[in-house]
Amino acid sequence: MRLYPWIFFLGLFLFISTHAQAADPQIEILQNNMSQLQQAVQSLRNTMSDLKMTIENQNEVIRQQSIQISGLQKGPTIQSGSVPPPAAPKANAGFNPDIGVVGTVQAKLTQNKSDTEGNNAIALKEFEVNLGQVVDPYSRFDATLTFNDALEDQNVEVEEAYYTRWGLPLGFTGQIGKFRADIGKTNLLHAHALPTADYPLVIQNFFGEEGLASSGLRLKNNIPNPWDLPVEVSGEILRGNNGSSFAGVSRRPIFNTHLKTFFEPSADTNLELGWTTMFGTVNPSLTIDAGDGTTTEWTRPEGTDKYGVKLYGGDATFNWFLPEGKQVTWQNEIYFQNRSDSANSTNATPWGLYSLIEYKLSPRFKPGVRFDYVNPLEVSGQQGTTSVSPYLIFWQSEYADVKLQYSHTVYAGGEKTDNAAFFVVDFMAGNHKHAVQ
Amino acid sequence: MHTKKAGIAFALVLSFLSVFSGVLFGAEKLNVVATTTTLASIAKEVAWDRIRIEAIASPKQNIHHYAPTPKDVFRVKRADVFIHEGLDLEAWRQPLLDAAGNPRFLGEGKDSIDVSRGISLLEIPTTLSRAEGDIHAFGNPHYIGDPENAKIIASNIAEGLASVDPENAAFYQKNASDFNGRLDAKIKDWKARMAGFQGIPVVTYHRSWSYFVNRFGFSVIGEVEPKPGIPPTAKHLVALIQQIKNKNAKVIIKEYFEENRTPKKIAEETGIRIVNLSQAVGEPENAKDYLSLMEQNIGLLEEVLSKQKGRVS
Repeated sequence: MRLYPWIFFLGLFLFISTHAQAADPQIEILQNNMSQLQQAVQSLRNTMSDLKMTIENQNEVIRQQSIQISGLQKGPTIQSGSVPPPAAPKANAGFNPDIGVVGTVQAKLTQNKSDTEGNNAIALKEFEVNLGQVVDPYSRFDATLTFNDALEDQNVEVEEAYYTRWGLPLGFTGQIGKFRADIGKTNLLHAHALPTADYPLVIQNFFGEEGLASSGLRLKNNIPNPWDLPVEVSGEILRGNNGSSFAGVSRRPIFNTHLKTFFEPSADTNLELGWTTMFGTVNPSLTIDAGDGTTTEWTRPEGTDKYGVKLYGGDATFNWFLPEGKQVTWQNEIYFQNRSDSANSTNATPWGLYSLIEYKLSPRFKPGVRFDYVNPLEVSGQQGTTSVSPYLIFWQSEYADVKLQYSHTVYAGGEKTDNAAFFVVDFMAGNHKHAVQ
Repeated sequence: MHTKKAGIAFALVLSFLSVFSGVLFGAEKLNVVATTTTLASIAKEVAWDRIRIEAIASPKQNIHHYAPTPKDVFRVKRADVFIHEGLDLEAWRQPLLDAAGNPRFLGEGKDSIDVSRGISLLEIPTTLSRAEGDIHAFGNPHYIGDPENAKIIASNIAEGLASVDPENAAFYQKNASDFNGRLDAKIKDWKARMAGFQGIPVVTYHRSWSYFVNRFGFSVIGEVEPKPGIPPTAKHLVALIQQIKNKNAKVIIKEYFEENRTPKKIAEETGIRIVNLSQAVGEPENAKDYLSLMEQNIGLLEEVLSKQKGRVS
């Protein structure tokens, strides 16, 4: 009885074994087929990969060619630092000085009836030729020659021509020649770089219509300090024949120092503060009584009272950078003098200031307004000259601009007023770069 | 009397300078100044904390028109290495170097690293005339928009730093190589994400995206500026609007510091989308380094173009 299951399982085993042995060749064929298929798939994969790589390479070639074509359409492609580009030699013409020109034409309408320069006329105010080049590994020169079409004295003037020597002991930079004196902010600017048609009244009255530029020597450096603040000091010895506040005697120099520092209260704002100290000689004219009822005005050729003019000034410029390239600038300068020649000039303590605010509202337009007050050299008393000058600058491009300005001026004493309108066109060409202030 | 006082004051200033100069700034790390935040970021990738790096131009301002400040002069004056983009991108670079008067950076000094070396330049003018606007004499200097060029920049910085600081040469080279490897991986990803927009017509505000659009295969049909650096005129805008309509341009690519008013006007007329991209690390503020800056640019474009792709003209 118990043998039946064993016989059944033995029979089943023999049956399966027999059939399994019979199926072996088919499995082998299937396995071979599978293997061939796998090889075919792998081969296809490899082919696909090769094709993909070929396509990518072709795409890269096409891309490079399209860059070349684009470059040729807009100008050739070249590798930086290899062959000089076709136009570059003109821009980098060997050792010749860089040359730039700037023209300023001004039209002015005024209530002033005198037929003097600039009144109710159009005039070429200035035509500057700027030259500059590195002299050797230690130095460079810069020069600005100015041509003007003034009614009375058409002339050529050396506005600036100075030699800069870097790397002096202790890190000093020296400059020698004729340059615009380092006084506040505006005095350093050439006329075309001003936001307004004219210099602020206090600059005109204390230093001359175009500010103070004089031959001399300048040393400047940064003062190291534990607060990591930029503190720049400059000291100048200037020939004394320039600047309306001083003697006008060449051999009596003007000493000038300017100290400035700079802060960034936030990522979008900055504030520059400066202080100017000047000493110069006064040279009051003497009235000589001839004894016959006549008098003669006489000025000592060597000047009198060394350092009889003490001039102090402060400047503050605040910039606020807004999105889309907009910018607000608020600039202020104040100057006051202590003079020993008050008996003749009738004003022992002349002083003046200006405050200018402007808003660059687009790439083309910048409106602004300047307020001036000056208690001038020539007049005594508490009343001074005040002026308000709204203006608008329009940039046709980076190289040409138009300035419109209206000025309402009430002169010292309050009896005389003037309303004037200015129309100024500035244009420049060539290599023209402004020095960093 | 006054002469004596002035002499004493001058002597005091000289003494102060002689005592403190070189002492206060005699730090062991190299003082490196880069003209842009993007170069500073790449230099940081190359040198990590072995340099003290500062950038000059604010990322929020137009690099062409940046006005260097007394602080910039101060930085360059005391710097050991000066990194710049070469060509004539930074028109203010030479006046800044002149003002700083640091003899290490005069001429082609080895302490001054020009990262443009080896870059294939586009749009090189065959003639120089301002009638063509504010063109660049040596070719388009906005090459930093192409991430492939960032690899050349990193290598140039590593080479430059190595020549100033040979002890760390291997360190700089390895970091540059690592950075370039990471950049390669990102470029592959960016190209894949932009692949669907090949040949898509776009408008740029200024010709500052030529390298970027070439890399990712867009087609520039015009600029908002009639000529480089020239503010848009009404006549030009009429023609540009017509061109956008004809060619079904999808986006205006502009930088954050460029005005919005004109692009918005064009968008109102044509339905084109405006996208603000940047080539300056730090603008926007979450673009902390070159990779995140480009990621931001690609992400913004991908988002806008995906929406625009299906737009019926």
